[in-house]
Amino acid sequence: MSDQVSPSEDQPTGLIKSTQELGAGLFLIAVALFFYWQGLDLPRGTLRALGPGMLPLALVTMLGVGGLMMVIYSMLEAGPRLERWSLRGPFFVFGGIILFALLIRTCGLVIAGPVSMIFGMLASNEFRLKEATIFSIAMTVLCILLFKTLLRLPIPVIGTLLEPFFPF
Amino acid sequence: MEAFLGNLALGFGVALTLKNIFLCFVGCMVGTLIGVLPGVGPIATIAMLLPITFGFDPTGALIMLAGIYYGAQYGGSTTAILVNIPGEATSVVTTLDGHQMAKQGRAGVALGMAAMGSFFAGTVATLLIAALGQPLTKLAQLFGPAEYFALMIMGLVFAVVLARGSILKAICMILLGLLLATVGTDLETGQERMTLGIQDLSDGVDFAVLAMGIFGFAEIVRNLENPETRDVVRAAIGRLWPNKDDFRQSYFPILRGTIIGSILGILPGNGAVLGPFASYTIEKKIAKDSRRFGRGAIEGVAGPESANNAGAQTAFIPLLTLGIPPNAVMALMVGAMTIHGIIPGPQVMTKNPELFWGMVASMWVGNLMLVIINLPLIGLWVKLLQVPYRMMFPAIMIFCCIGIYSINNSTSDVLFTAFFGLVGYTLLKFGFEPAPMLLGFVLGKLMEEKLRQALILSRGSFSTFIERPVSAGLLLVAVVMLAIALLPSIRKGRDEVFTE
Repeated sequence: MSDQVSPSEDQPTGLIKSTQELGAGLFLIAVALFFYWQGLDLPRGTLRALGPGMLPLALVTMLGVGGLMMVIYSMLEAGPRLERWSLRGPFFVFGGIILFALLIRTCGLVIAGPVSMIFGMLASNEFRLKEATIFSIAMTVLCILLFKTLLRLPIPVIGTLLEPFFPF
Repeated sequence: MEAFLGNLALGFGVALTLKNIFLCFVGCMVGTLIGVLPGVGPIATIAMLLPITFGFDPTGALIMLAGIYYGAQYGGSTTAILVNIPGEATSVVTTLDGHQMAKQGRAGVALGMAAMGSFFAGTVATLLIAALGQPLTKLAQLFGPAEYFALMIMGLVFAVVLARGSILKAICMILLGLLLATVGTDLETGQERMTLGIQDLSDGVDFAVLAMGIFGFAEIVRNLENPETRDVVRAAIGRLWPNKDDFRQSYFPILRGTIIGSILGILPGNGAVLGPFASYTIEKKIAKDSRRFGRGAIEGVAGPESANNAGAQTAFIPLLTLGIPPNAVMALMVGAMTIHGIIPGPQVMTKNPELFWGMVASMWVGNLMLVIINLPLIGLWVKLLQVPYRMMFPAIMIFCCIGIYSINNSTSDVLFTAFFGLVGYTLLKFGFEPAPMLLGFVLGKLMEEKLRQALILSRGSFSTFIERPVSAGLLLVAVVMLAIALLPSIRKGRDEVFTE
């Protein structure tokens, strides 16, 4: 798995001996602080009658301590480096999903399907426009047949915007 | 004994109606179809296919869902053997010898033996559920809030101990899951918590949304990043029916795997995940010539696959008797049951005996179905696996989107799924394993409820958890497990098991 390290390429240099561990710790501390801030106004109640804010506070505290421990470990024990983050994959894949969410009601599956799939396919560096277009249209037809015709899911095939053009 | 047979008879009466056999068949079929796709494990498969069960009556829907579950499990093994990509943690072990067998032109035998081992394990596990269901339900009725809370703590500790990599990271993932579970309206006071003022969050985060984001979308991004090294078996699939020697070598591994898997599967906290590892380790230890392992030993497929299937099935026991889902897949089952108005727990068996026993019986039917459907269809799965990933992932993407949208007819669910996909990707980058987080999330609401109830009953004193013997015993087990896992020598052994 990703946390397997070969010691040769990860010789600790300087104070931080594992950037992955440091990042993990800082991430948890940030999450803990965010939820702490969100839960500030919630009544905590007493032990006899716990309020809605008590458990979140306890969890946030433990999470923060855990994050802090990771930050400390990152300076003590050699560990894996932070991997390179790619932007292309997340941008196009999550972008494609967001496009689907935005288009499905208004334009229906006929538009949302191909658009989100073609956009998502840009995430791969083997993208070919012609292939992507044909494939996404074929998949959309298949999805309509499968989910709408066969399984009768209430998924909009033709959205509210296009309905006036298809009066049947 | 009479009641046991009577219940099974009732179950088969329900499961063997033409309609339910058909639903079970369709479930197994589509479950395998989606489960075979590399990088799509049972969790994503079930979340994706959940909406197709909505149109049926509760019994039919659950039977179909159980079929999907077994199909997804078996699909994962098929991918493991043919492509060397494990669909999920439990089929990691199958890749070791299964893929080697496939390279030697014995893919058919490996798949055939996996199917037969799974069928045997499934039969035993079905009987076990039928036998243990009633006594455990009685036991559950003795449980108060303190005991429930302690049991769930024990489950979470198991999950930590069984997770790969750093124990601290696993604990933090559990905490994060519990924290995410607090999002939404507080059940007792009606106050909104951590909703950021977003209306759609007042019911909390939907489990399918979280699971799909983290196990569906994050996985896609992850796979795109690592250039593909899919080596679909080029060698012939070969005959499917194992010969005499294969059978002789597999009898005992299947038997041992079934026993190990069944026992581990019952444990709360996703014990099932350990089954295949334990089975493989044991087979390797007691083999006359352990060097054969990793080079295509049939025992290394037969044992772990049986353990895998046995555990997958006995994992239903804590859910059906105590109402506690032991892993993420079972949590999806809770979601599906709730949609049909059934609250899992000891009352299901008494209130809906047809549903309960029908589902138990259909598990066996589903296992049989898998042997019948899958063996002739292996050629089709091989073809499917040769589709390049650049065309496979948009298909997975659109199925996921349609699936998530259809659960609540909600576009915001789709957006949240994208968000959790990003979260999942971030977690992977920081070296966290997301499975314990899901379990924390699954148990979060129930745990808080039971904790509050227990503290009200004890007038705010935590000693109630230690004074009540059952609760104290469960907590003691949890503490001992954690302490053992933290011992340096055991940690080393544990790492070895997982890296093997």
